[in-house]
Amino acid sequence: MFSQLKARFGSGLAVGIIGMIAIWLIGLVILPQLLMVDYSFRPNLLPADIGGPKDVYSLTNYETLFNNLIHLKIFFKTIWSSVLVTSLTLIVSYPIAFYLAKVATPQKAALCLLLLIIPFWINEILRTFSWYIILAYKGPLNALLLGLGLIDRPIRFLSGDGGVLIGMVYAYILFMIFPIYNAIESLDTNQIKAARNLGAGWIRTHWRVVIPHAKPGIATGCIMTFMLAAGSYAVPALLGSPGSRWFTQIIYNWFFEGGDWNQGAAYAFLLLIICIGFIALVMRIFKVGLGDIAK
Amino acid sequence: MDSSVHLDNTVMQFGDFTAIQKTDLKIESGEFFSFLGPSGCGKTTILNMISGFLDPTQGDVKIGGQSMRGVPANKRPTSMIFQNLALFPLMTVSENIEFGLEVRGVSRSERKKASNRLLELVALEDSGTKKIAELSGGQKQRIAIARALAVEPQVLLLDEPLSALDLKLRQHMRTELKAIQRKTGITFIYITHDQGEALTMSDRVAVMSAGQIQQVADPITLYRDPHTAFVASFVGENNGVSGKIIEVNSAFVTLDCGPLGKLVGRAQGNLSVGQTATLFIRPEHFRLQAEDGMHSLQAEIQEVNFEGAYLTLNANTPANQALSIQLGTHQFSDALKKGAPVSLSYREQDAIVIVGADHV
Repeated sequence: MFSQLKARFGSGLAVGIIGMIAIWLIGLVILPQLLMVDYSFRPNLLPADIGGPKDVYSLTNYETLFNNLIHLKIFFKTIWSSVLVTSLTLIVSYPIAFYLAKVATPQKAALCLLLLIIPFWINEILRTFSWYIILAYKGPLNALLLGLGLIDRPIRFLSGDGGVLIGMVYAYILFMIFPIYNAIESLDTNQIKAARNLGAGWIRTHWRVVIPHAKPGIATGCIMTFMLAAGSYAVPALLGSPGSRWFTQIIYNWFFEGGDWNQGAAYAFLLLIICIGFIALVMRIFKVGLGDIAK
Repeated sequence: MDSSVHLDNTVMQFGDFTAIQKTDLKIESGEFFSFLGPSGCGKTTILNMISGFLDPTQGDVKIGGQSMRGVPANKRPTSMIFQNLALFPLMTVSENIEFGLEVRGVSRSERKKASNRLLELVALEDSGTKKIAELSGGQKQRIAIARALAVEPQVLLLDEPLSALDLKLRQHMRTELKAIQRKTGITFIYITHDQGEALTMSDRVAVMSAGQIQQVADPITLYRDPHTAFVASFVGENNGVSGKIIEVNSAFVTLDCGPLGKLVGRAQGNLSVGQTATLFIRPEHFRLQAEDGMHSLQAEIQEVNFEGAYLTLNANTPANQALSIQLGTHQFSDALKKGAPVSLSYREQDAIVIVGADHV
């Protein structure tokens, strides 16, 4: 890499570029992470005791989760809900991505993409909060459903996980649509025509031809959505009810309310490890390689 | 089984643009029928209307006498071979062939039997478990044919399927396609811009230009008796000389061709004195020695090319019009050289006069 940069920019600039990348990677990514790893294995002590005889490495912080049934339950609920968010986002995004890639005229596709992107120029908190308003007990959605006569009395969307699910599907839809759109766009339209021509209906055409081709894009979208959902804080904090706490909220509490960074760091790493393991497992089941995703 | 295809007063428009002018054409059951025309002439649009990917703006497409209006592409008794073949790259060769049967709910063992039979037909018995990427161009071609035949279509549609192959393979596949057509007895509708393909394989050819069918005929008639200037110059090589009609004498007309003098040819359709017309003479119909009843024109040789069995001359007339002449090699002499004058003769029944200016 250095020789390439040197050939292009000369050695002075090459050293500068590499140096800046190194500072950024080491100082802003690797060191803080290592510090957190270090924190997670040490007990939470008063400043006076740090470095003293009580400051020893142990797995105690990691064990806390498995001794706290409530936290453990929230932990697995977070994983499960993230799976649900990912599936819902996939179901919503796939038809949109297919429409944009293969059905819409270029002008219509550009317009739709613009309409999809514009809301994301607004701050995430504001966007999420607007869903809070929409889904409120006396909010516009209930008013609309009542007005249409579809329901007799307002629904409490925001109690339970419903609000969080809707908010997250909305928040992460672009991360799902774009990879799938890219994958489907690269499919030769004649493949779809050939399947139709051989007698396949729409469902089979998608199942046997479009989805297998789009699999790497679907995998990329699902991984991004899953990781974002599992690590989301704003959406559950705003749209969640007391009964639908997310594991990230517990991590937050350890850090900023419990003041126990060591415990918080251990929880954060547990979430990270389980998420990575879960993704690896799912990729294995669906026979997606890392190389497919990097495309 | 009736597997005829009838374009019943079909019109296809895209917005303001008329891709297919009103067309009424019946393709017989079991016929090898080609649409020949330059790219953009609308031939692929016709294929898309027959296969159901497009619905005609007006008129109807009938297959086996049945109206196809409202019948979606996946319910039509047609099968298509795409220009880029569109084999499914993520499936094996057998899975590709069996796809259409799988869709129809045919049992696994029946499917296996069918794909083995078809692999035998296209002489690729051992390739069933291969991936598509492992096949050569010609093999892919044959798998595409097998896949299209697996669903036992009444009509097989072929969209320039040979254009990606090299010359030798292309010639081989022509014979093979013709043989498969004879064996299966189904209607083949073939789209091409390559007249060699159209003329060698087809029972009948429709020559198309700008969304309009110019002429429908068997290959020999098309070559000998073109109805329009477009057909005359598009099918085979031709020399067009324009002039004004000065005399109409039953089947023959005389043209005043300015500096080339008066030339006589066979009349195509009803011609009348005073019309502008073009006299077409094929390169192989020129003679160096005039015989009784022949007509001649003078030119100057620009180039002599030796092609083995024959010679081609490029010559220029006094009106500065380029002519192409083809002679048997035995007619070669030292007099045929660049800059030499040459007298070119032809029999009047070999020249054809068509109203309008030369198309090309």
